[in-house]
Amino acid sequence: MRRVVVTGLGAVTPLGVGVDHVWNRLLDGASGIKLIDSFDVSDLPAKIAGLVPAGTYADGGYDPEEWVDKKDLKKMDVFIAYAMAAAKQAVEDAGWQPEDQDERDRTGVMIGSGIGGLGGISEGSKLLAERGPRRLSPFFIPANLINLASGFVSIQYGFRGPNHAVVTACATGTHAIGDAARLIMFGDADVMVAGGTESAVCRIGLAGFAAARALSTNFNETPEKASRPWDKDRDGFVMGEGAGIVVLEELEHAKARGAKIYAEVLGYGLSGDAYHMTAPSEDGSGGFRAMENAFRNAGIAKEKIDYVNAHGTSTPLGDEIELGAVKRLFGDHAYKLAMSSTKSAIGHLLGAAGAVEAIFTVKAIQTGDLPPTLNLDNPSEGCDINLVAHEAQQRKVDYALSNSFGFGGTNASVIFGPTP
Amino acid sequence: MRRIVVTGMGAVTPLASNVEATWSRLLDGRSGIRRLPDEMVGDLPSKIGGVVPSLADDPDVGFDPDTVLSPKDQRKVDRFILFGLAAAQEALAQAGWAPASERERVLTATIIASGVGGFPAITEAVRTVDRRGARRLSPFTIPSFLVNLAAGHISIRHGFKGAIGAPVTACAAGIQAIGDAARIIRTGEADVAVCGGTEACMNVVSLGGFSAARSLSTNFNETPTSASRPFDMSRDGFVMGEGAGVLVIEELKHALSRGAKPLAELVGYGTTADAYHVTSGPEDGAGARRAMEIAIYQSGISPREIGHLNAHATSTSVGDLGEIRAIQTVFGTDSSIAVSATKSATGHLLGAAGGLAAIFAISALQDQIAPPTLNLDTPDPAGTGIDFVANRARPLATDYAIVNGFGFGGVNASALFRRWSDDQDAAAVGERHA
Repeated sequence: MRRVVVTGLGAVTPLGVGVDHVWNRLLDGASGIKLIDSFDVSDLPAKIAGLVPAGTYADGGYDPEEWVDKKDLKKMDVFIAYAMAAAKQAVEDAGWQPEDQDERDRTGVMIGSGIGGLGGISEGSKLLAERGPRRLSPFFIPANLINLASGFVSIQYGFRGPNHAVVTACATGTHAIGDAARLIMFGDADVMVAGGTESAVCRIGLAGFAAARALSTNFNETPEKASRPWDKDRDGFVMGEGAGIVVLEELEHAKARGAKIYAEVLGYGLSGDAYHMTAPSEDGSGGFRAMENAFRNAGIAKEKIDYVNAHGTSTPLGDEIELGAVKRLFGDHAYKLAMSSTKSAIGHLLGAAGAVEAIFTVKAIQTGDLPPTLNLDNPSEGCDINLVAHEAQQRKVDYALSNSFGFGGTNASVIFGPTP
Repeated sequence: MRRIVVTGMGAVTPLASNVEATWSRLLDGRSGIRRLPDEMVGDLPSKIGGVVPSLADDPDVGFDPDTVLSPKDQRKVDRFILFGLAAAQEALAQAGWAPASERERVLTATIIASGVGGFPAITEAVRTVDRRGARRLSPFTIPSFLVNLAAGHISIRHGFKGAIGAPVTACAAGIQAIGDAARIIRTGEADVAVCGGTEACMNVVSLGGFSAARSLSTNFNETPTSASRPFDMSRDGFVMGEGAGVLVIEELKHALSRGAKPLAELVGYGTTADAYHVTSGPEDGAGARRAMEIAIYQSGISPREIGHLNAHATSTSVGDLGEIRAIQTVFGTDSSIAVSATKSATGHLLGAAGGLAAIFAISALQDQIAPPTLNLDTPDPAGTGIDFVANRARPLATDYAIVNGFGFGGVNASALFRRWSDDQDAAAVGERHA
């Protein structure tokens, strides 16, 4: 089987833009969660979110015009622009510039999103209600279609290989990276630009998740304390926005062109809960089987895992169920590995979460730094493994696992290993 | 390489709410396209669509949501999820697949595509928040519109615990769902997969959006059944349709050992990107051509062996032309392949189109008959050398049929099916006992 490695990284997150900048702030214990001030939240029970900071790339901020032609920005919802920014970083980081048609045909794009253009669709619906359907822009549909993130990236770079977009709610980012790796393993492509993007922090998004009682509402006055996975006072997730994109590449292809290799994609596993629309199965069997399938695919012993980047969204039910599944799967080794939830710092990026967290997992392997779980002041009963509370830790990380689980009972796990 | 066969099919379409009635009405040359209610279309330039008939519209084969969910639970899901559940139910019943053990449940995957998902539910939520306040949203709002919840509900209903997936590659999504599912079976992660697409976004926002993009037909509002006319000189845009097309696909030996009857074999799949333009393909159809070539290459046969093509052909000026060029490049210009464009009868089901087209291609192989392309009165002269099946169904003699699905964003996908015959069946059984 062809082996797949990671050769490029790109991120737009509530901690800023650019992987190194975001990673340093994450290790410093910074939080990207703030009170929302760009639209009216007075009547919403959750008033906070992980928001991408405005500013220049040089300062670690986000300015869309640095990434996308001004005239093209009108043709795409924010989630697509985030993907364009993260993809540009990743492609440049990888130094991948196909020189002929064959190389372009062998390069694909797989960028998912949990929801896509929710803000854009809301605006369009309002415009239509107020001023009639003939006032919609000709770009309304393509600007909001989820697969247009992949579409715009493929057009920008001329990548003519497999073009795909997965949507599996909060498992999307991991799913996209795993599926893209599989396309390379099977020979459908040599290089894939893969990941997830999301920008659903709008009135409808917040109101909808709040109605589903999924969001934190007790920390509107102290936003940076709201996302607190495994802590006794956790009361729901905090929505976040952004994008994470990686360049995946067949090992020999990467070596032949002398690319910098961050890590290897070793294993990937999926499962379905077949249990409930929005709640995970109480015994954690869905997450358990996704991890187990990833190990089967990777063919490594569970004891090799040094670090787990948890799904850990800070909901009362989910966090402990995931931890229980990790304990059952790893046995004694659960007390030797480290696990953290970086959603404590950036919130839950939904369809982008798995992709940004894959980047953090790869960085942990590269640097030996373990990002912290913020706000873990009083762990819930049984949350007694090393959850990297409050402060980053250092240890050698050869193998690491990242989990993502989503509404609809969809689970995905991916295992990364050292540079071959 | 594990071989993959189709063992079940289910459909909800503008023609009928099951496969058998849809297929026979398609062969009869009937159209599912009609005038939309004035309160929906207002002053929009396009006023027609392929609407799934309700039980009231069509007491025999209209859609009855009560057969899939209780009236109370129907309120928790958007219409695309109802269609997906109904089509999956029919496909699973035909396949006779009801896993009895945990192992069987774990080895069943669910991959259901949609182009836009719960667009109408999002629109409705916007209205609720604006008019009645943010706190009036139902707790089911988000799961009612998430695209992957069609797959989610099917997996929950039937207890399928394998991989869940939901491609959203616009109008190629249905074919990509089949391709993704096949790959999951090939790797051994699943033995069975429920796969296909579902779509139901017939409302003023999506009609307004596609109108604004100048994608829809506007010249035939008074004669709806003549509006969708792929490859015809008077074509002027696609007609939006709704529905679902779902297959049960299965590893061959798994199917035979449990006594399931294969309907066809999936022998090839290809997918590519145009990397050209957001909403239109290149005139030479290069991306489409490569998708077909990859699918054919994977099957190990030559293009000459393929006797039938269910075209993507949505009745747009540029799109149909690109596909014509691609067909001519792959299959030549000596009329070797019978080309049908069934969107002429159903309209364009977007993310469900590929699943439904696959069902039509498989039915064509089973019955050895090519369905008609309605309204193909004056074929585009650019299509010289292509054997279009115009206006009337006609007999076929072929073992292979190929299906195309292309989408906004420049995404292309093709799937290739082989006719299942008793001879092959016997040979495969022999292989199993060997």
